[in-house]
Amino acid sequence: MGSEYIKKKRLLLVDDEPELLDMVVSILKEDGYEAVRTARTVKEAVKAAEEFQPELAVLDVMLPDGDGFGLMEQLRAKGDYPVLFLTARGEEEDKFRGFGLGADDYIVKPFLPGELLFRVAAILRRSYKEEDPLVELAGCEIDFSRAEVVKGGEHIPLTAKEYELLSALYRNAGRIVTIDTLCEAAWGDNPYGYENSLMAHIRRIREKIEDNPSRPVSLVTVKGLGYKLITERK
Amino acid sequence: MKSIPKLIRRFVLLLLLSIFLFLVLNIGFLILFTMDQSPNGRPWSTAQEMAEAVEQTGDGYGLPREMQEKLDQEHIWAVYVDNTTLQAVWHSDGLPAEVPLSYTASEIASLTRGYISDYPTFTGAGDDGLMILGYPKESFWKHMYPSWDYQTIAGAPRIFLIVLGANIILVLLIYIGANSRLLKSVRPIVNGIQQLPKGELVALKERGILSELAFNLNKTSEMLQSQRYQLKKKDAARANWIAGVSHDIRTPLSMVMGYAGQLEESPDIREEDRKKASAIVRQSRRMKNLINDLNLASKLEYNMQPLVREEINAVALVRQAAVDFINLDAEGRYPIEWETDEKLSVCMILADKSLLTRAAANLIQNSINHNEDGCTIYIAVSVRTENGKPYCVISVEDDGVGASEEQIRKLNDAPHYMVCDTNTTEQRHGLGLLIVRQIAESHGGRAKIRESAHGGFAAEMALPCSGYETEATKMPGSENG
Repeated sequence: MGSEYIKKKRLLLVDDEPELLDMVVSILKEDGYEAVRTARTVKEAVKAAEEFQPELAVLDVMLPDGDGFGLMEQLRAKGDYPVLFLTARGEEEDKFRGFGLGADDYIVKPFLPGELLFRVAAILRRSYKEEDPLVELAGCEIDFSRAEVVKGGEHIPLTAKEYELLSALYRNAGRIVTIDTLCEAAWGDNPYGYENSLMAHIRRIREKIEDNPSRPVSLVTVKGLGYKLITERK
Repeated sequence: MKSIPKLIRRFVLLLLLSIFLFLVLNIGFLILFTMDQSPNGRPWSTAQEMAEAVEQTGDGYGLPREMQEKLDQEHIWAVYVDNTTLQAVWHSDGLPAEVPLSYTASEIASLTRGYISDYPTFTGAGDDGLMILGYPKESFWKHMYPSWDYQTIAGAPRIFLIVLGANIILVLLIYIGANSRLLKSVRPIVNGIQQLPKGELVALKERGILSELAFNLNKTSEMLQSQRYQLKKKDAARANWIAGVSHDIRTPLSMVMGYAGQLEESPDIREEDRKKASAIVRQSRRMKNLINDLNLASKLEYNMQPLVREEINAVALVRQAAVDFINLDAEGRYPIEWETDEKLSVCMILADKSLLTRAAANLIQNSINHNEDGCTIYIAVSVRTENGKPYCVISVEDDGVGASEEQIRKLNDAPHYMVCDTNTTEQRHGLGLLIVRQIAESHGGRAKIRESAHGGFAAEMALPCSGYETEATKMPGSENG
């Protein structure tokens, strides 16, 4: 996905189950994350956070000497970094609803490695901008820092709406993003009745990024559902 | 409490009717009774008849024979007094000794109004005299001074009506006064009885004429409350037990799923081992769904899942659910066809977003669960009008193995093992569709299963469109499935 820089971020994992910690570490390491540290209690976690200065914390909700929400507050007092919760209780969805507690995301156990990796990567990409924000597509590169498309040496600027749409697609690169989510990204909270405008914008984006806009390969349509941005690995 | 004024109205009507009936009956009786009596005017007319029948003969005055006989029969004596001399010129046989034979004007006036020696007397004017008839003692009572104020007689009908009206009002007042006390003590009891089915605690003051009733009502309410509490406690314990078990399974299952997932992705293992790892992933995902479903189904069943309703666009929600499945389905074994009319981009409903997402996901998962070899899933959102109300219909169909008519009938009608109170040995369906039904019903809609035109299974959920919600948890026709 052209976002290898996130693999260098420091991750702190807190869970009271040592075997689960081992597994999560192995999933993350296998995917290329280099700096992963673990803790099993609130006390250990606070200490580890001071020494390690994590850039993302993955916390279990139930810990032997306290709960994840309290721990999050303690950690946040020392440093501002995203927090992802791992919970074994479906009911906690209610607490997370709208992330009123300030958590960035949550995963209900059990989860598949892919789900965990996707959420971790999504939070990191959202929280930390890429130093080299060039996204490589089949026929061009997108420079999000300058809001332009670089195609065969030519720099084509993106409009504000095009930028919003491409960002939303890029955050979910390789996955379908629904028409409704895209409309919401571009037109805000009341995104009804913009389907035709969306199609027009997509057409213009394709003219900028595709070699052959009538046969798109990077920004593909999933009929009736949404669109998918396909990036090239560096 | 509408029944009490109705009750009073009915009583008052009944009372008025009975007063009216009494009047009619009394008057009827009076008429019947007096008809049997000798009419009031008869002695006067007899006297007049006798007076006119007096005839002058050679040796004085006399009465025809039949007249004489009539007088004898009724033991009436008669005296004929000459107008000028005021002397009796004729009298009947057997005249009592105390009856005078000469009169003064004042005696004539007195006997006309009253009696002679207690014999009621009646007079009739003859050609030249006055006929006096004396009826037996105590055969008539005479009102001796019959005169009334003219205004009183002229206003008599009005006075009669006023008195009648006043009587009726008085009777009503007495009745209402007496009854309002009864009603006052009945009212709290009626209130209490109406509170009972609402599940509210009834605590009535146990005094007054109906104290015993109040006491029993209080006792019934207490019993109901305690039963309800016990039932709730039991339900809560059961739901908590399920929540606890599913919580404890989640962490170990995470490990199974995590490692199997890693193995599945690993480039270093043999193809046949990868297939085994895939199977573990698939089955553990089913277990995960089962745990989630079990937990939610028990909470919905025991009313422990609060509904947080908001305006949501059902089209967007179902589209997201569909996309979530496609994004997860890396192998593309379950392609999804979006069959919603392009023109329908918004269909607002007032619903709990996370529950509805769950219901939509369960509908899709249901098709996946029943088609291990893959199938195409057709998803559509549409608006349908039923009984004049618009419903948002979410339908998920597939072209997979499907189910027989008998199985479909059972799915629609037979209670799920989770809510079934009899022992069941039959193979029952998973919880996914039960949850869809529970969620639909808690939103005033319904869920239905049928055969798909695509050859497989079809499940649909109909929810009232925003602004058309009803309090009822079932819409008409849901009994038939």
